[in-house]
Amino acid sequence: MSTEPVSPCAIELVGVTKRFGKQVAVQDLTLRIPAGRTLGLIGPNGAGKTTAIKMLMGLLPMTAGRARVLGIDPAVKPVLLKRAVGYVPEMHFIYRAMRAAEVIGFCRTFYPTWNNPLCAELAGRFEIDLHKKVKHLSKGSLAKLALVLALAHEPEVLILDEPMTGLDPLAREEFLEGVVHGLCDRSRTVLFSSHMLSDVQRMADTIAIIHQGRLLVSCLTDDLLKTTKRIRAVVRDGCTPDQPPEGTIWQRFERREWLLTVRPFSPATLEYLRGTYPVENVEVQDLGLEDVFKDYIRGQKVQA
Amino acid sequence: MDIDPHSSAPIYQQVADQVRRAVAAGVYRPGEAIPSLRALAVELTVNPNTVQRAFETLEREGLIQARKGLGMFVTENGAVSARRRSAAAVYATFVQGIRAAQAASMPPERIRDSFDKAWGDTHAEVRDEP
Repeated sequence: MSTEPVSPCAIELVGVTKRFGKQVAVQDLTLRIPAGRTLGLIGPNGAGKTTAIKMLMGLLPMTAGRARVLGIDPAVKPVLLKRAVGYVPEMHFIYRAMRAAEVIGFCRTFYPTWNNPLCAELAGRFEIDLHKKVKHLSKGSLAKLALVLALAHEPEVLILDEPMTGLDPLAREEFLEGVVHGLCDRSRTVLFSSHMLSDVQRMADTIAIIHQGRLLVSCLTDDLLKTTKRIRAVVRDGCTPDQPPEGTIWQRFERREWLLTVRPFSPATLEYLRGTYPVENVEVQDLGLEDVFKDYIRGQKVQA
Repeated sequence: MDIDPHSSAPIYQQVADQVRRAVAAGVYRPGEAIPSLRALAVELTVNPNTVQRAFETLEREGLIQARKGLGMFVTENGAVSARRRSAAAVYATFVQGIRAAQAASMPPERIRDSFDKAWGDTHAEVRDEP
């Protein structure tokens, strides 16, 4: 093995695999997030998002591969890692019998960099009633309290694992506003996972789609939109095309209409179609992120 | 201002477009400040890096300029430039419509008829424009 280069990435997973017995939860996952970027990790429930994040946080040992956050190996320096990261897990593990203010007092003892004035400012901005017991807070306030706890020690890295599950639309919007403020306060690297694209698409400059433990695509959001196209080709009667062009993510043929989603699309894609099949009419459309995500996932289902 | 999640246009372009439209419509006039980066990022709940990129695009276009410590201001030519860009967007919409018509195998006369009908239908509104 050659010597490892210094990582320019704030968050890095390389060839990470997790097996539970014979079950493969995460398979050979490689993700790199450069400093200052926000990656939206999306995939259906059970795709392996939380497992991957737990390995990154040093909360779960990996079967194979390596992880680094700001150069820290979670398996070697778990405490240092947790101090460097603001982490909002899917289940907000906050003591329910404590008042919100007591939770803050408790959590702050773990972080040498805890910033009291910032914490008070964030709690005020999110309108959290600090005198209330945690069990009496609304789901939205609880999620925002978890975000305050994640931001108050001024971490450079923020890891949000399905933080908005169970929130109503208004609470989701408020939580996202909290994240935006967090990103305005200082440059941060963010890993934001969700099973709903709509949660992350306005926040993420990079999108990674994960399905059944495997990474389907990881790409700058703008590039993903630019390079993915939907083709609608009408072919002559009696022709049943069976060889889709290179880069086909999803396809469906019905009657004379062949729908294809292709990435990366190029003029060569159309040349191939026209050269291989009796194409009567062809139309190329741009897609929104929602459709790109949907086609990646349903493309997998057809193959399975 | 709002972001369309189903649009295939990158979000920074959508943000730039929103600001451009607001300037073209006179919401922000030459010499006036546009909302701060934080205010826009929170209002649209988008990444501040994305708003920054939109600002850079608009600055290159000459629509806005930075004043140290005060934020972004609409330039003297900002409104004119925003209207010119809006005209380009209108043109692109027509091109898109014509392409859709061609894909539907519509003959050219039918495409023109369809434009005339759309014009007629909206004429009352159009006449009110300056």
